[in-house]
Order: sequence, then C-alpha cells, then structure tokens
Amino acid sequence: MNFERFMDRKRKDEELAEEIHSHLAHEQDANAARGLSPEEARRQANLKFGNPRGPRERVWRYRSLPWVEDAWRDLRFVLRSLGKTPGFTAIAILVIAVGIGVNTAVFSVINTVLLKPLTYPDPQSLVQLMNTGPQGSFPGANVPKFNIWHQQSGIFQQVSGYDWGGAGTNLTGGDNPEQVQAIHVTAGYFSLFGAPLAAGRTFTTAEDSPNGGHVVVLSYELWQSRFGGKPDIVGRTIQLDGQPYLVVGVIGRGFVTEPVGDLWLPFQFDLASRDMAHYFTVAARLKPGITLPQANAQLNLAADQFRRTYAGALGPQEGFGVVSLQESIVGDTRSSLLVLLGAVGLVLLIACANVANLLLVRASARKRELATRAALGAGRWQIVRQLLCESLVLSLTGGFLGLALGVAGVRLLLSISPAGLPRIGENGSAVTIDGNVLLFTFVVSVITGILFGIVPAISASRQNLAATLNESSSRSGLGFRSGKIRSILVISEMALALVLVIGAALLIRTFVKLQAVDPGFDTNNVLTMSMSISGDRFQKTAGVAQVIRDGTERLNTVPGVTSTAATCCLPLHNAFGVPFDIVGRPKGNAPSTGGGGYFSVSWGYFETFKIPLLRGRSFTEHDDGSAPGVVMINEAMAKQYWPKGDPLQDRLLTGVGMGPVFAEPARQIVGIVGDTHDGGLGRDPLPTMYIPMAQMPDAEIALNSRVAPLWWAVRTSVDPHTLVKPVSAALRQASGGLPVAHIHTMDELVVLNTSRERFNMLLLTIFGASALLMAAIGVYGLMAYSVQQRTQELGIRMALGAQASSIRNMVIRQGMTLALIGVVIGIGGAFWLTHFLASFLFGMKALDPTAFIVTPLLLAGVALIAIWIPARRATRVDPMTSLRFE
Amino acid sequence: MAMKKPPPAGDILQGTLDMLILRTLVMGPAHGHTIAQVIEHTSENALEVEQGSLYPALHRLEDRGLLSSEWGVSENNRKAKFYRLTAKGRKELAAATGRWRQMTRAIGLILGESDE
Repeated sequence: MNFERFMDRKRKDEELAEEIHSHLAHEQDANAARGLSPEEARRQANLKFGNPRGPRERVWRYRSLPWVEDAWRDLRFVLRSLGKTPGFTAIAILVIAVGIGVNTAVFSVINTVLLKPLTYPDPQSLVQLMNTGPQGSFPGANVPKFNIWHQQSGIFQQVSGYDWGGAGTNLTGGDNPEQVQAIHVTAGYFSLFGAPLAAGRTFTTAEDSPNGGHVVVLSYELWQSRFGGKPDIVGRTIQLDGQPYLVVGVIGRGFVTEPVGDLWLPFQFDLASRDMAHYFTVAARLKPGITLPQANAQLNLAADQFRRTYAGALGPQEGFGVVSLQESIVGDTRSSLLVLLGAVGLVLLIACANVANLLLVRASARKRELATRAALGAGRWQIVRQLLCESLVLSLTGGFLGLALGVAGVRLLLSISPAGLPRIGENGSAVTIDGNVLLFTFVVSVITGILFGIVPAISASRQNLAATLNESSSRSGLGFRSGKIRSILVISEMALALVLVIGAALLIRTFVKLQAVDPGFDTNNVLTMSMSISGDRFQKTAGVAQVIRDGTERLNTVPGVTSTAATCCLPLHNAFGVPFDIVGRPKGNAPSTGGGGYFSVSWGYFETFKIPLLRGRSFTEHDDGSAPGVVMINEAMAKQYWPKGDPLQDRLLTGVGMGPVFAEPARQIVGIVGDTHDGGLGRDPLPTMYIPMAQMPDAEIALNSRVAPLWWAVRTSVDPHTLVKPVSAALRQASGGLPVAHIHTMDELVVLNTSRERFNMLLLTIFGASALLMAAIGVYGLMAYSVQQRTQELGIRMALGAQASSIRNMVIRQGMTLALIGVVIGIGGAFWLTHFLASFLFGMKALDPTAFIVTPLLLAGVALIAIWIPARRATRVDPMTSLRFE
Repeated sequence: MAMKKPPPAGDILQGTLDMLILRTLVMGPAHGHTIAQVIEHTSENALEVEQGSLYPALHRLEDRGLLSSEWGVSENNRKAKFYRLTAKGRKELAAATGRWRQMTRAIGLILGESDE
C-alpha cells in the first residue's frame, strides 16, 4: 500500500499543484469581491497562502519511501561516477567476473554431483550394500550374499540386485544390429527405485526365477529411437542376440540410471547358487526410522551368520555394511571437488584484494570530491553507503558476467575432459544453472562486494576535511594508513597466489610424471572394440573359442592389420581379482596364497599389445580345451611370490574359495611377461595372471559373458582410425552378424585413463595463472601509484645528486620487500595447504622440493618484472618538471 | 549526524485539523478553499487554517479512505477538487468528536469548571 502510494506520487503531485492553483484562484476571487484591484487580489492571495512548494514538498515526502529514494539516488550517482572512469570499471568488473566465474564453475559441478538429491523418490532411505574389510569397502554381490541381505527384513523394506549393463546385448532382428546396454535386475528393482511406467508392467517374481522366460522392459529412449514410440510395443517380441523376447513394459521418461541403461532383463537367479564371484551390486531401502548405524549393526550379525554358512568365503576381518546410495555413486570425487572449491576460494580472495586495491587508489583520487560532499553535510554513513553501493554494483555486474563465464567455461572444460565424474551426464550436460547455482553466485557476489568495498569505504570516510580541502589536488596522495592497507593487500595477494601456483605446479608435475609412465605396452596403432556375447551359443567355452578363432583368422586378412587379440579386459582396465594357491606351498591360516588380476586372453594378446615376454613361452593357438592347462604371470607376481624360486617350476590353482564356477584343475606356469599398469597409470602394477580363454571352464565363460563383453584389439600398420569400417565388417561376418561398439584407439583410452588428473591439473593451472596475473597487476599497481605520488620527492633526490640507478633500486627494493614477504608467508601457507593435495599427487610428496623452490622463484620473477616498469619510470623523472609538478 | 527533522509544529493540533475538516464536510462536498473559509468563519475567525497544512491533511485523509475526491466546477465557475466524506470518514468523525469531548471535559475538570 505504501508502495502504491510511492509509485503514484508523481501524478498526485501534479494534481496537488493544480489544486493549489485552484485555491489561489478562489482566494483571488474572494479578494476581488472585497473590492481589491486584480493585482492586489492576487498579491494578497499569494501572501496568505505562502510558498506553494511547502505543502507540495510535505505531501511528496509523506508519499516517499526514504530507503528506496536513497538507494535509487546512490545507484544513479554510482553509475554516473563509474561511467566516468570506464578503464577502472572494466578492469574491476573483469577481475571480479573471473573470480566469481571460477567459483560458479566449480560450484555448478559440486551442485550437480554432490548436492542435488538423487532423482528417485525418498532418496535418503536408499542405501548401497557394501563389503567391508581392512582395505576399505566396496560394492559387489553374489547370490549367497544377496540371499542373506534379502532376509534382513528388520532393517530393509526392499532389496534389489542389479548390474551395470557392462556386457551389453545385441539388439538384432533388423538390418542394423545394435549393441545396447542391458541392465539385469531382480524383480524388486523398479519399485525400489520408484521407476515410472510409460506402458505395460514390470517383471513378476515368476518371470525373475529360472526358466521365467524371455521378457524385457524397455527404456523410454530406446522405445522412441528404435521402435518409434508405438503404443502397441507391449506384447510384441523383439530380438536380442537372435532370441525372441516379449516386451512387457516401457519405463517412463526421466528415469535416470548411472550408468545409462537401454533395457532391463530379469536376473532369473538360481537362488541355490553358491558362486562367490561378485558380478552385480545390491541396493536397498531402509525401513522408516532405521538409521545407518542400526543397519550396519544388524549386517554385522548377518556377516557372522554368512561366515558360518559358507566356510572360507568371508575373511575374519571382512563383513557387510551400508552407505547411502548417493555417497556410493559420488564415491571419491567429493574430496577432489572440495579441494577445487578451496582453490577457487583463494582465487576469489585474490580478486577481492585486487579490487580493494583499485578502490583505494580511486578513493584517494576522489578524496576532494568526498571531502566536499562531507563538507556539504553528507554524513559518514552516507559516504560509506555510497561507496559500498559502488562496490556492490561492481560485484553484482561482475557476478552476472562470472555466471555466464563460469557456466560456459565448465561446459567447455567437461567436454574436453569429463574427469570421470559421476552424475554429470554426457559431456557434462547435466551441469546446469539451477536455483542453487544462482543463489550461490548472488550470495558470493554480495559478500565479495562487501568484502572488497568495506575497507576502502571506511578508510575513505575517515579523513580530515580541512586538511584535504586545503591540500592541492595533485599532492593529495596516499595517507600513511591507506598506504599500509594497500601493502598488506599486496602481500596477501602474493601469498595466496603462491599457494595456488604451488598447488598447480604439483598437479602439473603429477600429470607430466603420469604421462611419462611406461604403461608396459605399446599404445600406438592399436584399435579396440567390444562385442557383446550374451547369446546362448556363448554359454560354453567352445562357442567363444570358435568365434575367437574365426574372428582372428578373418581380421588377420584385413589389409593393415598385423596382429589380433581377443580378451576379457583391455590393459589399463580393472581386471577381475581372483585368489590363487601355489600348489604345494603351505598357506597357513590364510584362505589362499594370494590374489591377483585375472585376464582371460587369446594367444595374440601379448603380440598385439607388444607386452614383452621375459621368460618361458607365450600362449599359442593350441593352448585350447583339449591341451593341458597353462597360465602366464607378470613380473610383479613373479617378484612378489617367487622372490627366490622359479615360477616356471610351479603350478597355480586359481579361484580358490570362489565356489564351484571357478573350480578347475591346477595350471602350469609357462611364461612371465612384463608388467602393465592395469589399475591406472598412477598405480604400481598388480600381480596378474593370464589364462587362455579357450581353456576357461564353461560355467566361468557363461558368467563372464553376462558380466562383460568380449574385447577385440588389432595392431595396425596404418592409422588405426582408417580401419574402423573393415575391422567392424570383418568381425560381423566372422561372428554371424554381431555388431561391435565402444570403438577407440588405445591412445584414446590412455587419455581417458588420466582424464581426472588432466581435469584437476587444467583447473588448478587456470586458477594459478589467473592468481599470478592478478597478483602481478596488484604489485604493479601499487608501485606505479607510489612512484607517481612521489614524483616530487624523487625529483628533489635527483636534484640533490641521486643516481638514476639508486632511485631505481630504491623503488625495486621497496616493491620486492612486499613481494618477498608475501612469498615467505605463501610458502608457509603452502606447507600446510598442500597436504590436502597429497592424495592427488603421483610420484612425489606434497612437499616436493622442485615445486617449493621453482614456484617462489617464478613468482618473485614475475613480481620483479611488475615492479621494474614503475621503477624505470621513476628514473625518468625530470627534476625540473617534477619540482614544478604542483 | 542522522537527519532528524524537528517535530512538526502543532502535532497535537494535527488531529484537531483532521477533525475540523471532517466536520466541515458533513454539510456536503467542498473544495479546499471552501473548507478553509468555513472553518475560519464558523469559528468566528478564532481559528486560522494554515494553508500549508490544509492540503497535506486532505491528502492524508484521502489516503486513509476517510475522504473521497473528484474534480468538478466550483460556484465561481472554476475547476476545483471536491472532497466528500466517506462512510469510514463519518465513523472516524464520530469517534474523534467523542475523544475531543472527553478530553475537553477532563481539562475542564482540572481547570475547576463545574460539570453542568
């Protein structure tokens, strides 16, 4: 209501003016009626009424809202005064935009990955079942574990198992077969995650039991893209791996899974299975009121029961537990994102210090203006308010620009290097501006504006009016106080920049060292692709061996292909971990002698990847099901388990304690090959076993083909990209029409493998570089200003015979003193702060001497250049001119 | 150094002026000049309406919904803004008159006048 009055006051004022005019006319009439002359009548009327502005002003003031008026006046004034100094305004806004932009960028990722709740109903009660142990906990399940978890009805409402769709499935029955992601789930999956239905229904319990028939549920996207979104799809059959599957339902749009799935198939577990291999994961919904500690306590009891039921399947220190599903999906990205947030916080602080410095200079140049306003009656609060308004205009404009900059920047960055972050969608498409990001940017902008504006505003408002007004304008330089403040700001900028640059240097060195790691094989000229082998004919080893033989034969005839391999897993992928016994070696209480990576490969594997054979022999085409069992090991395994003896004399029993699927006779160790970095370039090579795929037990092959695709790799004598078409065509012919997917060169996979490190390094380098630049501008600005202010003093010194070099050295000494104080403080800060980086580093300590020596030198060098320019200007001072400088 | 305005002179009289205006309008709609004249004449020129206060008071009363206004033509054939008492205004006038009577009686008692 007040506000309406406020908006309406202009019209009302005009009306009042007219009203007063009418009043005067009536008074004049009355006077004229008393016989006064028209002249006198008007004079008397005006006299009686007094100044008509009086009532108008009273009404106007009564209709106005003081704070809106004041803010509006301040704002107009600020815009005018900023517009008069476009250079200052542009630089200040740019610095703030960069500072806020990097914060918005990092926050928008954090928001997407860490803050947004999962899109399932009541996501807080969703948990992931974990295996706990001394080495940490990991998700992973088999049927016996699923059974016992499923029985914990005291803590769980619903329990469901699902896999990651890694094996893929071939959507056949058309002209272009296609490999799609098929997620295997238990019947409770859809209700656990609250999946909406677009059509039909989900699986029944009967369909999710052995011999439950071939049924499938489609995703909305696959329904649209492959089946044209036709409503009659439910009840029709589609071809998967050449088999007919009945479509029972379609899941609604917007059901997000991590990773993305195209269709769902029922697991159809044999609940009596005793296989111990982990090949799926389990999630559950807690009963209302059950907390995580309560669930964990109950699962401890379950683990004891499990240990009694299945002897040797669970170590004494191992057990079960739950973590929230969100935490499980986010995983270890939390700490890396929080470090980045800390780093951008430092960038913003430097930006604040920088702009505060600029504002101090500006305030001292405007001293007379402010003093004049104070002399004309502006209160101190009014001056502070106006200066704060100015910094808020700067920070909000900068924040607005920063928002655009940050969001565009983060999209660009994520498309260059996706960083293996969960939940960000394809190339970071899920990272968007939402209310959280807007609010964050707004709050940061306001805080920033107050932070960099408050010190200059207060120091500008605290001045001696008379002294300022009496000073001549050219001499009204920095007071001692604001000079000190500026020095402190420059020192802090240098210190913060040093911390950031040291962090960046550590990550750059980490990345360089990672790049320099020899992966243990030749990554050049290798083309890789996956083939889903989930069909019925691949449930036995002979079928897989046949497709490998046919494929290898066909591929070797493709011009440009020099060697071919088929394998369960590519180098740099995580292989399956499998325990083993060395036949005849006592193992004490331990369930097995040891454990290692388990690669099932074709005979061409080592030749194709150029993994050197160190001793013994490599596999041949004849190491098949009819030949005696053989195994090869890598150097790391040989060194760890045969520090003295000869591995080639020993036999290995693999899959110990993993249940009947993995039970097989002992294998002779026939060869030792060089190490590859399979856990990632930054990890030491793990002990690894290689088994000929043609010698795998049938049950294991059947399990494998459900969990993972078959990978093909060819070494080429030409650019591998040029062979994509002929190689895919050859494989399709050799396999009876199976498509291939995930086609990459090995070089590309190496880049992907280091993408997290690349992402962190790129970001911190950007932050460090902008920090360095801002700090340099800061120290340059301070020295240039101080030289300008001291022109007269310098002139007198020169007139009295000071050498140009000594003048220059004096300026440099003063500037470098500030810079070096900053560097020393920064080193101290970095000693402490880089500990947070320790887990991101590779091949060095957080207190890496190179980074801690080179970086301060670099920073000091940059500072020296920044100071050199004003120092040189100081020597050019002409004594005559400067003495007349007044 | 806050900008404290001096308290408006005749703060107590403020309410009185409002009451007089409302009372004047009981006779029918009138414009500002008439209102001032009526108050002065009726009080036998004992009360002189300060012209500078009249219009702010009129506007405030209108904003409070006690008066309504419209432009019309005056007895002198001039354009003028006529104020009219609203129902709310009548109620307020009754209340204000009651308050005034109570107060004058109380002051009268203190000054020793007999209550007839």
